[in-house]
Amino acid sequence: MTQQLALSIVGSGGDGAVAAGDILAMACARDGLNVIKTEAYGPQIRGGESSCTVRISGKPIFAQADLIDALVVFSWEDFARFRSELALAPDAVVLHDSDDAVPDWIVTARVTPIHFPKTGKNIFALGLLASIFGLPADAISAAVAKRFAKKSAAVLESNREAFDTGFALGAELPVGAEKLAYTASSPKLLMSGNETSAVGAVDAGCRFFAGYPITPSSEILHFMAEWLPKIGGSCLQTEDELAAINAVVGGSFAGVKSMTSTSGPGLSLMSETLGLASIAEIPAVIVNVQRGGPSTGLPTKSEQSDLLHSVFGSHGDTPRVVIAPVDVEDSFHATVEAFNIAEEFQIPAIVLTDQSIAQRRETLSRDSLIHEVTSRRIATPDQLENFRRYAITEDGVSPMSIPGMAGGMYQTNGLEHDERGRPSSMYVVHERMNDKRYRKLTAIAKKFRLYRRFGAEKPELGILCWGSSMGPVREAIDILTMEGIRVAAFVPRILMPLPAADIQQFVDSCAQTLVLELSHSAQFHQFLRTEIDLPRSRTRVFARSGGKALSVTEVIQEVRRALARTEKLEEVLA
Amino acid sequence: MTTCETVYAPNTYRSDLKPVWCPGCGDFGVLNSVYRALADLKCEPHETVVVSGIGCSSRLPGYVESYGFNSLHGRALPIATGVKLASPALNVIAVGGDGDGLAIGGNHFLHAARRNTDIAYFIMDNEIYGLTKGQAAPTTPIGDKTKSTAYGNPEAAVDPCALAISFGATWVARSFSGDVKGTTELMKQAIQHRGFAFLNIMSPCVTWRGDDQFKILRAKVKPLPADHDVTNRELALRFTNETEGLSIGVLYNISHPTLVDEMLEVRWKAQGDKLPPTRTDMLKAFTPDF
Repeated sequence: MTQQLALSIVGSGGDGAVAAGDILAMACARDGLNVIKTEAYGPQIRGGESSCTVRISGKPIFAQADLIDALVVFSWEDFARFRSELALAPDAVVLHDSDDAVPDWIVTARVTPIHFPKTGKNIFALGLLASIFGLPADAISAAVAKRFAKKSAAVLESNREAFDTGFALGAELPVGAEKLAYTASSPKLLMSGNETSAVGAVDAGCRFFAGYPITPSSEILHFMAEWLPKIGGSCLQTEDELAAINAVVGGSFAGVKSMTSTSGPGLSLMSETLGLASIAEIPAVIVNVQRGGPSTGLPTKSEQSDLLHSVFGSHGDTPRVVIAPVDVEDSFHATVEAFNIAEEFQIPAIVLTDQSIAQRRETLSRDSLIHEVTSRRIATPDQLENFRRYAITEDGVSPMSIPGMAGGMYQTNGLEHDERGRPSSMYVVHERMNDKRYRKLTAIAKKFRLYRRFGAEKPELGILCWGSSMGPVREAIDILTMEGIRVAAFVPRILMPLPAADIQQFVDSCAQTLVLELSHSAQFHQFLRTEIDLPRSRTRVFARSGGKALSVTEVIQEVRRALARTEKLEEVLA
Repeated sequence: MTTCETVYAPNTYRSDLKPVWCPGCGDFGVLNSVYRALADLKCEPHETVVVSGIGCSSRLPGYVESYGFNSLHGRALPIATGVKLASPALNVIAVGGDGDGLAIGGNHFLHAARRNTDIAYFIMDNEIYGLTKGQAAPTTPIGDKTKSTAYGNPEAAVDPCALAISFGATWVARSFSGDVKGTTELMKQAIQHRGFAFLNIMSPCVTWRGDDQFKILRAKVKPLPADHDVTNRELALRFTNETEGLSIGVLYNISHPTLVDEMLEVRWKAQGDKLPPTRTDMLKAFTPDF
């Protein structure tokens, strides 16, 4: 028996590789298993090669698979394009089309040629996998039936037959694979980070969305376009990202919780308006789904290289909030938190996620999608007497009126302005207003110390990472802990304002620190150094380009290297 | 609830800020027209939002007693669009200069017009960049010497009304800021029009285009022919390319569903007469219900 399995299906358009992965993932979700499903495509818009990888476990999992345990490959030529992404385990079970000769670079032990049927070969493959690995066959069969429920009875029947035939053949194949150990439990939701972000926005009260299509964030636009009109909201597809963010600022100024979503190139265009929202003190939420950059970069691959742009980008002194979700479920919470903070503190908030979280589908419990919602402080009748929209206050938050409110009239401004919103270029006003606006960050830092910390109490090595890196780090720590290595991780979920005191305390409690990120220029490390004392002699940095997910193996290797270096140093000193 | 009756006089809409414009600037006439139009239409100041970009003329919202938004260079229209969609009951007016609206913000002009966004948009067209002190604008005539065209402007000028008509604006007019009464009347029509109403106001810059601009324009402007058919697009476009004089008045006026109309239609298609969806409905696509 095995605790977990990673299965990949690779084919070209029409083979139904991704559809099979969907069915498998949904079936496992029905039986309460934990699933992380990822997809990869070739550059073609339609057709072309595609792959779908489903990692399944009875126990909680936090990262996509390092190594593939089972591969169904309809065409080796298609698989060749994914070679760098889909690494096979040494004992991987490979089921390939018997008409397609095995290339010599395939060196795994258990390669089995299969005579796939002409139609329904993807469902046939699911049958094979289900019997070989002891997957929940009833659930898969039901998921197949659901998938083809709207097709003709003949189509449904032929697919059902394909599954049964595959299942029967699988039982006869002498592959001798370990079966998956699990007990069925109550059904789970199966969602992507883009989807949980969108649901979070709706839950938070977002009723106006403006966006411009961009990979890998467009699913948020799609969700909002479908759901906002049903609940009395509006979704506008704008002419560009400049219009999107400015429409959001307009909508929010008019009193409606508003959001946009984008990726790096769009965030670059939005930078100027980020400053406008900051100086005009208008709540605005931007979900930025990172992809490889700069410029067009790697539109379909993940990276953590928009960090410095998110925390510092835009000219001038521009306070903003940046929240970084760590997984699919957390994308929901991060989005609600972004709204809560943006609305309460009248400040733009960026949800800084990435392609890997945004587009993979993960199982989650329905109960986990609950988060308290707060709203903006509207000016009271008292405050409207002699109204000062930008009144200097202790926490920097001033009373806000909404157009339509009698007595609340003011002019808002991208120009520096006085307490009433009147333009001013006086140094004194500028200094006082900058001070007021930055006090909001201090108040936010005090109220929202958002981070995750796990692992040993007094670690010999402490890992600092953020966002999607948390998943593999968490799994690596579980493995290392079982080996008796005292390792821990600190993962800030809010990057601006950074929970600096908490991070410093963590760093000080560790014998040494490893900063880990997917950014070639080590943006996270650079950023940490602006606020945290990271002693050079006790800090190691692992920073590489995105384009390939961070693996658990990589994290373990880096931890071992760091610890070996210390041992060596101690030897020399001794 | 307001306890005292609003007095709808031009002064009701005058804020306590003094304009920063040069003496003799054409924009004073535009501002006076705005006050009069709002007064004549009895617009509630607190239900009116004036949005602008950046430039001399974009300072205008500050001088109007209403909600105002002096935003970023070129971005008045998307902000105004957001305001209108979020709160359709508001009276939303966007203002700015020709550089703001036609150069840096040109793309938004196209799309605000195409969507028939329910806003009135007034461009104060002085054929120059004034705030940055005298560079060529998209409306500067070919051959004109400016600070950025030392040997004469090598580029052809664009007619803002021609663009608006081509882009799909449903109400397009031209006026002259020296004619406060006429401009006021056109502003009133623009504000009352359902959909995207575009008014190009020739508003001289006496500092960078010369103090004879008023005289030149006054001699040049002429009313549209009395029998002008405002529903005829080809005819309207002909008046954006005149060889002699400059016709002022409503060039084009048709009726078409607005962006707000269309958004309501989308809601109807999405929801119909069904009860609003529950959260369970929203999560259905992600729930294994088989």
